[in-house]
Amino acid sequence: MAAGDLNLGGDRPEAGARAAPAPTLVVGFGNPLRGDDGIGVEVVERLRAQGLPAGVEVSDGGTHGLDLVNLMHGRRRVILVDAAPLGKRPGEYVRAALDRVRLRAPADLHSAHAAGVGEALALARALDLLPEEVIIFGVQPACVDWHSALSPEIEAALPDLITAVLAEIGSEERKHG
Amino acid sequence: MTTTAAIHVHHVTRVEGHGDIVVDIQNGQVKKAQFEVVEAPRFFEAFVRGRPYFELSHITSRICGICSVGHATASLRATEKALGVEPSEQTVLLRKLIFHGEIIDSHVLHTYMLVAPDFLGVGSVIPLVKTHPDVVLRALRIKKLSGDLCAMVGGRHTHPCAMAVGGFTHLPSEAELRDMRARLVAARADMDATIDLFATLPWPDFNRETEYVSLRKPDEYAFIDGTIVTSDGFSYPIEDYKKVTNEKCVPFSTAKWTHHNRDAYMVGALARFNNNYEQLHPRAKEAAAKLGMKPLVTNTFLNTAAQAIEMVHCIEDSIRIIEELLIRGIKPEQPIVPEKLSGEGVGSCDVPRGILFHHYTYEDGICVAANCIIPTGQNYSNLHADLQALVPQIVNRPQEEIRQTLEMLVRAYDPCISCSTHLLNVEFV
Repeated sequence: MAAGDLNLGGDRPEAGARAAPAPTLVVGFGNPLRGDDGIGVEVVERLRAQGLPAGVEVSDGGTHGLDLVNLMHGRRRVILVDAAPLGKRPGEYVRAALDRVRLRAPADLHSAHAAGVGEALALARALDLLPEEVIIFGVQPACVDWHSALSPEIEAALPDLITAVLAEIGSEERKHG
Repeated sequence: MTTTAAIHVHHVTRVEGHGDIVVDIQNGQVKKAQFEVVEAPRFFEAFVRGRPYFELSHITSRICGICSVGHATASLRATEKALGVEPSEQTVLLRKLIFHGEIIDSHVLHTYMLVAPDFLGVGSVIPLVKTHPDVVLRALRIKKLSGDLCAMVGGRHTHPCAMAVGGFTHLPSEAELRDMRARLVAARADMDATIDLFATLPWPDFNRETEYVSLRKPDEYAFIDGTIVTSDGFSYPIEDYKKVTNEKCVPFSTAKWTHHNRDAYMVGALARFNNNYEQLHPRAKEAAAKLGMKPLVTNTFLNTAAQAIEMVHCIEDSIRIIEELLIRGIKPEQPIVPEKLSGEGVGSCDVPRGILFHHYTYEDGICVAANCIIPTGQNYSNLHADLQALVPQIVNRPQEEIRQTLEMLVRAYDPCISCSTHLLNVEFV
């Protein structure tokens, strides 16, 4: 069996009950109870409320851990949105392809609950299971204290960020018709 | 040769939550060997007071992301017993099915990603990808299958929102069940490979007699409901759980300790295996034979092997349950609404890490008291006793090997530390 073949066993015509995963997946990470750390989840919720183009799914990445590897499987493109300490002004964001970014993924998996985005991406890459394209939107937070609301700077930046994510999704459709 | 060593493992890796191993050896004598739980308490039992009965399972499933179905199920059973609700046969079958899904999900995570690296010479699952990619792929396949099984029945992978008092708010379709059955049958190959792998691992040779505590039912390997039984021959109704647990506080830990007939008892897969072996599916018994295991197994390290055996059992029993559901046909049942809103009840499940109790009191539909006793919390005194017994046996090995072996002992319990902490230790300066 090739390293890239998860061989899920259920993708057979006679099974019928499960649809193939949408080619584009947007995953928002973060904890909404920790202020701006919840930015990724908020983006996903607003995209979901707006309605999505065909071929696009969104997911709340709050608790995925290593299951992100399975969630990404079978997609052509995954867009990840998360708060990130970038040394920029709160609300500013950076869009980068995964291979242009160095994620700090600790060498040891310290706990079942500590496996996050970095570990999942490292695992997927090592197993040759990454989608063709992985795009990361990192957003500079103002405050990640225990506080269940986004700070004013992040709220103000949200519309532009969502437009940028939608443009990213749209660029896929223009490329692939 | 180590005659004097101070070993302090700060935050043991590859366990859920935070705990420290503290060992002090002087001139070959063990002066101190203890496991200190340093996790912050969670306060669930306090903040569910004042909440209405239909919220409790949704709140308490948040005690844990790995065993959320276990907590939800024990919680629902406590509420249902308190308010006189008897779930339908379909509900009972669906709950068993999702429970099996979580057992497999939790056990595959623990056996493959938390324990296997120790035996395969690596520090975590990530380097395992280079040395044993087929092993990691297999683990991910099994995890995807079990996660999808939980999502199919519970409405989503984690925190099963479809599980409710008296039934389910969402039911799987017969097409989904047939698809899942096919995937479970296909997973038998991965189960065989799992047992073959675990049969080759060099399990440490350590034995200490203790009391094993679990649920038991007359007609099946018990996970939900039943009676409490112990390997020392005791048996209690679930409502009498305090006669088993006997909780007490200890000074160096934010989690309480338990004991029953001896100074400690053990819960979890090994306890279930020892107490209820006869009720395992035949394929699980075959797996046990390949692993050289038959009750009474007194080697804590083999708790992980018992988990592998339970994965085989749960795959097979899930196939059986789905076949029964398909023969009956899925009926569009609504959750049963309780007719009385005051009462007291205890729910118990044997979740991946061991026997769990949720005990609630309701007045006019509102929770006025709650007590949750978590399996990992019940294992601490046994872990402590194991440390006391193991350290002298390995005291003459190199310090790094002692440290590694003690960490493996803690991991063998598959502790879910943040589920289990209760007591806040406040130091005023």
